Amino acid sequence: MIAKAYAAEDAGHGGGTGLPDPMHQFEIKRLIDLEIFGFDASFTNSALFMVIAALLVTVFTLFAMRKGALVPGRLQSTAELSYEFVANMVRDNVGTEGMKYFPFIFTLFMFVLALNMLGMVPYSFTVTSHIIVTFALAAFIFIAVTLLGFWKHGIKFLKFFVPSGVPFVMLPLLVVIEVISYLTRPVSLSVRLFANMMAGHTMLKVFGSFVVALGLLGGWAALAFMVAFTGLEILVAFLQAYVFAILTCIYLNDALHMH
Amino acid sequence: MGQALRLATEMVAGVAVGGFIGWALDQLFGTAPFLLVTFFILGAVAGIMNVVRTAKSMQGEPLPGEHLRRKVADDDDDDD
Repeated sequence: MIAKAYAAEDAGHGGGTGLPDPMHQFEIKRLIDLEIFGFDASFTNSALFMVIAALLVTVFTLFAMRKGALVPGRLQSTAELSYEFVANMVRDNVGTEGMKYFPFIFTLFMFVLALNMLGMVPYSFTVTSHIIVTFALAAFIFIAVTLLGFWKHGIKFLKFFVPSGVPFVMLPLLVVIEVISYLTRPVSLSVRLFANMMAGHTMLKVFGSFVVALGLLGGWAALAFMVAFTGLEILVAFLQAYVFAILTCIYLNDALHMH
Repeated sequence: MGQALRLATEMVAGVAVGGFIGWALDQLFGTAPFLLVTFFILGAVAGIMNVVRTAKSMQGEPLPGEHLRRKVADDDDDDD
């Protein structure tokens, strides 16, 4: 099964244009072959970078807070800033009772941020540029939040789908539309992160190949653009992690308070 | 670019989810293609509704969670 997959991978190469393939960077490579009950569960470069991100976040917070000084140093300030940032986000969007879910939101934010930022390192792999990863995250959040809503409000949570002040005749139609609109949440949440990361990294690669193709004379313009665009990509990497976390907060708020 | 992409995503997600639900129900009941068409349109409606909601929140109308911050100032929100 794995051998067949390898053959399919090899067939995908060799465009013959001479320019590097901008989608090549998103390729999944198997580092350790592993097959469990006929499923291909190999340890891939994607999995490797997820492990690196998780370790990085853990080591960063533990190492920065090792002293726990009253007057924080530079590194400790960074850790405290990230804590305050997420804590304020949860307080503003979910309220103080939402702080119960702070550990989850913080982990989610730091994990996605670490994955996005690791993607900005040359020769690294951007895990969040694969829709299956972002969709798995979003689907987990969606299911957890929905279950939480039913657990907190019981069957009354279904009232969330009934808009107020609507004539009785229109209700069946509007409830179906509201339910579909609710079901689009994991899709739009995951597609937003995935599309931003993939589009940005493809752009970087395409303009990178322009620098080489235009040579010593014309390459400078493309190079200047690359420098500016790299800055923008770092902003996008942060912003998308922030958007992902804040939307999770908003969905959590809907489940807890049913606006 | 970010905001436009966000609105586009909302719209496409609505249509995609609606279409998928219709397709799945068609497979279940063997009524192809009527449910697919119906839910495709309903999905588009839901997508437009999401776009309008997102655009409203972008224009600085009360954001989700705003009621929590306002609670101290006026706590009589539903007796007009």
